[in-house]
Amino acid sequence: MSVQKLKDEAARALGRKDVKYLIGYKKGSYGFRVSPAFIEPKEDIDQLIFSPLCNMSLVKYVMMEEALPSLTEQAMKPSKIALVARGCDSRAINLLIEEKGVPRDKLYIIGVSCQGVIDQRKIEARFPQVTESAEVVEDNGKYIITFHGQSHEVPKEELLADLCTVCQYPTPLIYDKLIGDKVAPRKPCYDEIKAFEALPVEERLAFWQQQFSKCVRCYACRNVCPLCYSTICSLDSLNPQWLRRSVDPSENFMFQIIRTFHLAGRCIGCGECERVCPMNLPLMKLNRKLEKDAKELFDYESGKDPKSKPLLTTFRPEDPQGFIL
Amino acid sequence: MDMLILKKDSLKDFLSALSPDYALWAPVEKDGNTLFQPFVDWQNTLPDLTHQAAIIKQTIFPQTELLFSFDQNDQMQEPESGGAKQNILFGVRPCDARSFSLLDPVFKGDIPDPYYCARRNSAILIGIACTEPFANCFCTSVGGSPCGQEGLDLLCTDLGDRYLVAVLSEKGTELTNKTSSLFLPAPAEDLKQGADLAQHAARSMKRQVDLEGLTEKLSKMFEHPVWKKMTLKCIGCGICTYTCPTCYCFDIQDEPLAKKRGRRVRLWDSCMYKEYTLHASGHNPRPTRVERLKNRMYHKFKFNVDSYGTFGCVGCGRCITLCPVNEDLIDNLVAVKGAA
Repeated sequence: MSVQKLKDEAARALGRKDVKYLIGYKKGSYGFRVSPAFIEPKEDIDQLIFSPLCNMSLVKYVMMEEALPSLTEQAMKPSKIALVARGCDSRAINLLIEEKGVPRDKLYIIGVSCQGVIDQRKIEARFPQVTESAEVVEDNGKYIITFHGQSHEVPKEELLADLCTVCQYPTPLIYDKLIGDKVAPRKPCYDEIKAFEALPVEERLAFWQQQFSKCVRCYACRNVCPLCYSTICSLDSLNPQWLRRSVDPSENFMFQIIRTFHLAGRCIGCGECERVCPMNLPLMKLNRKLEKDAKELFDYESGKDPKSKPLLTTFRPEDPQGFIL
Repeated sequence: MDMLILKKDSLKDFLSALSPDYALWAPVEKDGNTLFQPFVDWQNTLPDLTHQAAIIKQTIFPQTELLFSFDQNDQMQEPESGGAKQNILFGVRPCDARSFSLLDPVFKGDIPDPYYCARRNSAILIGIACTEPFANCFCTSVGGSPCGQEGLDLLCTDLGDRYLVAVLSEKGTELTNKTSSLFLPAPAEDLKQGADLAQHAARSMKRQVDLEGLTEKLSKMFEHPVWKKMTLKCIGCGICTYTCPTCYCFDIQDEPLAKKRGRRVRLWDSCMYKEYTLHASGHNPRPTRVERLKNRMYHKFKFNVDSYGTFGCVGCGRCITLCPVNEDLIDNLVAVKGAA
């Protein structure tokens, strides 16, 4: 995928009268981090990048925008946000449109075909404590990683994020402009979920209790999730207070179960929750279980088509009901 | 000040000699991250001294503190003080040791906080010098040093197969006296090596920011557009505040328990949360992320200076390293300094 093309499309988008700003990626402040870039018309688009380090989703920023105070002001300002979206991001956008979380005409989507992104933890374990902002390019199944004037070659599969190894939709499904050729989907695989399901319930419970006892309730998993956009979240509600503020395994369990179940039939598998967790909780193990169930029980995958309906808002007489008590 | 040598082979003996009398805490790596935890398995594991522990302050200022429990008959019960073993924190970084000195005026000021004081006054801090600073360390920019001794009882410097141990307080002397058979006096060449390493560490600090005049500048910048710009990417989670060793905001809540009982707890709070400043009326004086992030910057670099005479930041770099969206405190400070 050509970064120049991305810049050209970004310039074109920002030249439109109806686009107020663009959200893309730029170099991060150190090491292997990238940063979201918010670029207004006439601002520098040369800072835009797209590389295997672009492992964060930008969709949430559309949902976090604080509305202008008055309707007149809203009507006077250009309304669209231009957004750089990868395959998984495009699924989030589709679902948001389905759920009427965001109107289609609020977005100008620059889709980028994605070859998979690097897992931050893997690359930082390989090259610890790098202060200089590194460059990474993909070449023929390898990543060429450059920092401090030296280049290192690492086989792609060693650093690729786990979720990208089973990605079904590397090419965006919804876009106004698409950059890059179609990328072949990978093979779906739920082996690790099946193996976990096979464990006795006591063992699974013990596993999650141990994991959730580490949770510090920073709510980064919720805040970063493109599909967690309730204006009043049950976790924040004070009256009634659904969730106690005490940080202990029981309350943490409750928190994570609420969060996970809210994503049942909705999670599009971008893995942001797991990426941001400062305590390394394996949250995608829960989300992928739900994803697998939706697939097996209802032959449903979320975010495939903006005109379809979300799973939990539909009913077919032939839907399996065996799990209803 | 005594300078001693402890062989790395003897570290286990040192820790095991202390473990009957003290409650030991140390950084331990598990499932790919390093956390400061009660160190019980000292026979089989060694503390992880190669990574930065994600959080340190819970050792003295726990995230959830039970103040008392009660029932419907007005029977109040205070928590048992748990045998009151003295805490030893092993593997404390110099910046983290300093962070407790910054928390002290808050909790030990005019009205001493009994919960904090009980743990703090009895705690013994055994430091490990940062001979190789981490990527986002900037302690030298906020008045610290990678091999600094402030707030520590012992400071260990890694000399390869042995530690150079500086004994810095009475508590430290008591510990080394108890285990004196494990320590040797440090020879001159080890003292020199330790001093060289300290110099090297200060020089190899990669990130720096000049904060001269920042506090004065902040007093004129409350309405500046720079705040909005730097907030755009913030997702409003609590990572920076919860992992920050000097963030001390807390909330107090009454919570129902089973069998008609309840409890009053004190919990960490985060100024990044909407709920933090939400009034009972529904009004929120910090309605958006912009005001919240701005407040955090002001608290660290202005309000803390006004109240206690120091920055409320020890330069540990955790908020930078752990921020999921690359909200970089140093970059933000540079932006503030450079703002017209």
